[in-house]
Amino acid sequence: MSAAAPPARATRKHLFDLADWTPAEVHALFATAEVMAQVLTRTIKKVPALQGYTVGLLFFEDSTRTRLSFDRAARAQSADVVTFSAGGSSLSKGESLRDTIQTIDAMQADLYVVRHPAAGAPRQLSNWTDASIVNGGDGRRAHPTQALLDAWTFIRNYRGADAGRIEGKKLAIFGDVAHSRVARSNIELWTKLGGSVTLCGPNTLVPREFAELDGVTLTGDARAAAEGAHALMALRLQKERMAAGLLPSLAEYAARFQLRSGLLELADPDALVMHPGPVNRDLEIEGALVDSERSVILKQVEAGVPVRMAVLYTLLVGKR
Amino acid sequence: MEENQVRTVIRGATLPGADERADVWIKDGLIEGFDLTGSAGLEIEADGLTLAPALIDLHTHLRVPGQEMKETLESGLGAAAAGGFGTVVSMANTSPVIDEPGLVASLIAQADALGLARLRPAATLSVGLKGQQLTDFAALRDAGAVMITDDGIPVADSHLMRRACEYAAELGLVIQTHSEDPSLRQDGVMNEGAVSQRLGLPGNPAAAEAIAIFRDCEVALLTGARVHIAHVSSERGMRVIEWFKQQGAPVTAEVTPQHLTLTDESLAGFDPVFKVAPPLRTAADVAYLRDALRRGVVDSIGTDHAPHTRAEKERDLLSAPFGIANIEVTLPVLYTELVLGGVIDLVELLRLLTAGPAAVMGWDEPGLAVGSAADLVLIDLDTPRTVDPARFRSKAKFGPWDGRELRGWPVMTIAGGRRIFG
Repeated sequence: MSAAAPPARATRKHLFDLADWTPAEVHALFATAEVMAQVLTRTIKKVPALQGYTVGLLFFEDSTRTRLSFDRAARAQSADVVTFSAGGSSLSKGESLRDTIQTIDAMQADLYVVRHPAAGAPRQLSNWTDASIVNGGDGRRAHPTQALLDAWTFIRNYRGADAGRIEGKKLAIFGDVAHSRVARSNIELWTKLGGSVTLCGPNTLVPREFAELDGVTLTGDARAAAEGAHALMALRLQKERMAAGLLPSLAEYAARFQLRSGLLELADPDALVMHPGPVNRDLEIEGALVDSERSVILKQVEAGVPVRMAVLYTLLVGKR
Repeated sequence: MEENQVRTVIRGATLPGADERADVWIKDGLIEGFDLTGSAGLEIEADGLTLAPALIDLHTHLRVPGQEMKETLESGLGAAAAGGFGTVVSMANTSPVIDEPGLVASLIAQADALGLARLRPAATLSVGLKGQQLTDFAALRDAGAVMITDDGIPVADSHLMRRACEYAAELGLVIQTHSEDPSLRQDGVMNEGAVSQRLGLPGNPAAAEAIAIFRDCEVALLTGARVHIAHVSSERGMRVIEWFKQQGAPVTAEVTPQHLTLTDESLAGFDPVFKVAPPLRTAADVAYLRDALRRGVVDSIGTDHAPHTRAEKERDLLSAPFGIANIEVTLPVLYTELVLGGVIDLVELLRLLTAGPAAVMGWDEPGLAVGSAADLVLIDLDTPRTVDPARFRSKAKFGPWDGRELRGWPVMTIAGGRRIFG
């Protein structure tokens, strides 16, 4: 596994968000992810890199793909995995986070992956455990591993001019930015790596405060958003947003903001179509576009394992 | 317990604003005179200390009955005394809520037996704090309730607020409002703005406060009732009050130590200790509230001391309760930030914590005149001390200012001629 050693070994303990990560650290992590991806093409898809480590998966909110992906990422490096799912149970509501983590700490995990409905919960938990914490999605706040795998997927798959880098590329995000941790983390990472981000949706779903961020543009015009974009990403629309009065109707939303072929024609000729999943076909994205050759939606899912392997490896190895 | 019968002299205390020192003699719970001669049963050396009327808080959550895990009368009134307060008005959002005369009388009796800060209870505006039916204001007043308020839960129904104000005006009762529009506030846990969007936390816009303040001021004008707007947190809200005051509306305004000193950036570390309602606003709001203090728009500073258990504040930010416990550090926080910070002088700060709230309630002006009640506080303006929550009397042994070095600590509090702290 020595070949997998990252060029610059990270010294950080936690991954809450990407705010204070340097581009060099991100690229080092991507280099590690490349090695991990290579491991996953072998007949024996397993390395002993994390043998003897225990990874705890603490899911206070339901999740299938993120949990499976972290589970696989830990086991492919020979780590032991303990899973704690408390979505909707008494533990997730009203109990002190200190009591929760101190109880779970009996499992003696070296690292916890935490998914929680409240922003900041992973950071709070880190106050009361010695283990590393990886944010697996906290409320609307951040989903850093999703942003990492999105950027990595783009870098590996974009075939147009100046390929292989985020710098100078435009990411257009369509939909419910306000409630999206994926959008927040993608904004953070894409602009950090020198790209620009255009957010497109109705004012009720796109906070105007985001216009103040460097490298970020807001528009209510889907065509303007798509124009020249190198990546077009639709966000999952929660149907309850309509009930909450944020949208007049799903039909009107789809008519104005659905990511569809007509928009792709305005984009960079090699632009990629992305979606963090799960997809509502023909609501936020035209069904046919999901399966088109420009879509990397399945590649995003595939990227989950090597990128999360790299995250676990970077935070754990060398720690003891 | 016999101290109030004993003639007491406080020697050499400095009187704020006067820059002169005096011996203050106390007898039978009253200020007997200055620089008298004769013998005293108790001599208190106050060299280097400042003497002021004991502070009055119109906004204290004592959590009794029913939430004694958060605070008890002994811990809460002890904390008040340690904070320099001689009198507090307790909020009524307890369990059960204070909506019956018997509960009011019981609270007063329990508090009097403790001999700490004096308790003057508020009662709820609506039965069960449900916002539907008025409580028996007159009976509650006769039992000792001094204020009517549904504090903690905004009165959503404008018609109910109107009738409450009409009825209270007739009885000479003050209505205190928690002015936030609940339908606009929604599930916000912090101020809505750039910080909440960055942190991904549900926001509560200042407009929710300004709209509700506007409604409550209009109702005050309509009914002539005395309406006290609690914990004004935003520039928008304060501007509404100023506009109505210019038109002679019978409204008064309260601000809290937290809204005068902390901003929404405090939430960046995701610590629910900073989760409070109304929420901490922006630096521009803090600056505006401070300016309003300077211009005399603010009538009183109230603590909104709102203790919770540590376990409750160690929940996640969506489920942790709102509230900051602060009554023991209110004076040093405000002295350090506002007086040493050059915003207002000591005399004005003390006015906002004594004569200001008394005027809101229509009580006698507290002072240091011969014959006034001997409700006094001795303050050490010079010695810096680090906030050590382990020393709090309050059961909530944590707060936003833990570890901060502050000046202006109370060293002794006297109520009715009797030492209740120090």
